[in-house]
Amino acid sequence: MKGTRIIVLGVVALMAIVFLFPLYVALLMALKTAKQSFDSFYALPPSLNFSNFVHAWETSKYPTALTNSLIITLLSVTLIIVVSALSGYAVARGNKPFYNFVFLLFLSGIMVPFQVTMLPLYKLGKSLHLINNHWGIMLIYGGFGVQTGVLFFTGFVRGISREIEEAARIDGCSTPGIFVRIVMPLLKPVTATVFVLNVLYIWNDFLIPLLYLQDKHYRTIPLQQYFFFGQYSSDLNLAFAYAVMGMIPIVVFFLFMQRFIIKGIAAGAIKG
Amino acid sequence: MELLKRTIRREFWYVLFLIPGVLLFTLAVIVPLITGGRYSFTNWDGISRKLTYIGWDNYVHAVRDPDMWTALGNTFKYAIILTILVNILALLFALLLDSYLPLKNLFRTVFFLPSIISVVLAGFVWSYNYSQGFPKLLAYFGLDVTSPLGNPDYALFGLIVIAVWQGIGSPMIIYIAGLQGIPGELLESARIDGAGAFHVLRNVTLPLLAPSITINMLLVLTGSLKVFDLVLVTTNGGPGFATEVITTFVYKTAFSSFKAGYGMALSMIFFVILVIVTVVQVSIFRKREVDL
Repeated sequence: MKGTRIIVLGVVALMAIVFLFPLYVALLMALKTAKQSFDSFYALPPSLNFSNFVHAWETSKYPTALTNSLIITLLSVTLIIVVSALSGYAVARGNKPFYNFVFLLFLSGIMVPFQVTMLPLYKLGKSLHLINNHWGIMLIYGGFGVQTGVLFFTGFVRGISREIEEAARIDGCSTPGIFVRIVMPLLKPVTATVFVLNVLYIWNDFLIPLLYLQDKHYRTIPLQQYFFFGQYSSDLNLAFAYAVMGMIPIVVFFLFMQRFIIKGIAAGAIKG
Repeated sequence: MELLKRTIRREFWYVLFLIPGVLLFTLAVIVPLITGGRYSFTNWDGISRKLTYIGWDNYVHAVRDPDMWTALGNTFKYAIILTILVNILALLFALLLDSYLPLKNLFRTVFFLPSIISVVLAGFVWSYNYSQGFPKLLAYFGLDVTSPLGNPDYALFGLIVIAVWQGIGSPMIIYIAGLQGIPGELLESARIDGAGAFHVLRNVTLPLLAPSITINMLLVLTGSLKVFDLVLVTTNGGPGFATEVITTFVYKTAFSSFKAGYGMALSMIFFVILVIVTVVQVSIFRKREVDL
């Protein structure tokens, strides 16, 4: 029995090394000069050398991209949470055929692939002046995020007993008052789920920024990286330094929020 | 009377609560879907103001277009292989991590880590590993390899490997959650009755894990049929047409070739295929699930 356990541990550890290997190569490249990489590809750098990072920071507009990513992600996720919580609550408590119809509408929207709506959405964005600013892309993410958001919030509110709300209503509390004072504080767990899942998706999204943020000043990190890699394809060490810099924010987010992310994914599976 | 007034007021608020969500959804999904459907019956180039309705011509043309069938073939090949590989590996990892393994939280983090990195980054890192990293590593063992992404026969598999690396995380978490939901007594009693590890897995664990398998198969399959970023940033459909998938084909047709009307018809066909796949898959798997 102990023997099998050691074998299992060995297999898992080997798999873990295989999984980390591509990232290890990226880090190795980022910390070496072109000549060091050429001389010996897998040798560790002779000394810790962050000049690639400094150079990448100066040439890449990294701070702009980071700010854009932060603004867009936070705005969109806030919008998604507020709108989905309101709609989810109405669907769960309304409980009439009409609300169920709206709920099914949101659900069936999940099946529509972005490539179908991409071109009309681009045209629509252009005519409404939603291209090349933070607001337009936020509305688009809002429209996509609300579909799964409502699913989560409706499911969660249905699990909350109505009794407290009824008692508050008898005491003269209005519907918005009940929502703000009683329901909202109870929504924390599901809000965390919707928050982490949408942050991961929006932060890393590539296609919508590619279409909606064509102005250099609005590029997000993945978009800026796409162009940077194309531009610096000859100086790979620099490009890798930039790649590592791009990974850092989301990896930090992941490590801090891991518990919520894992819970969120597991919860998502049950809802589906 | 008073009661009726109160009910009406409550309903009024509920409808008001729904409005922002419905508006956003209409803006981002319903309006584009309807206008897109309309464009698919025109020969619109994507820029000019002139729209000429040409009936079903785009659809007829699409069915006869060998490029669309190649792109669809590539898409399904990619999606089916990926779905099978991801699910087998995710289930395997979940089973290993669910056992009494030291450091299992660390391993879970490691296996999940690739899925939080943007596809642009993953594509870049892997392209380089394929062209430089792996060949140099394997050269130590006297093997001579070149990047699969440059070879039409292997490029799609090269992409699948990247997608597996990035795609294990979520299904693995869902399988772990599913495994934790299986009552220990059931496994215990099966073991007492003399079932070996393999029999317990086949006859107890897997049937009870059916809901997780359903959702994972569905999520991975529909997700991978929609693959776009990975192809665009690594091979851009090449070499030749070897990794052209339906989404990149639609994208190029609509945006680069100035055949927006045709592109929309292609995407509508893709949408219908996606709905059929989803419905068929859900109905097949739901039948096989066991209730506890």
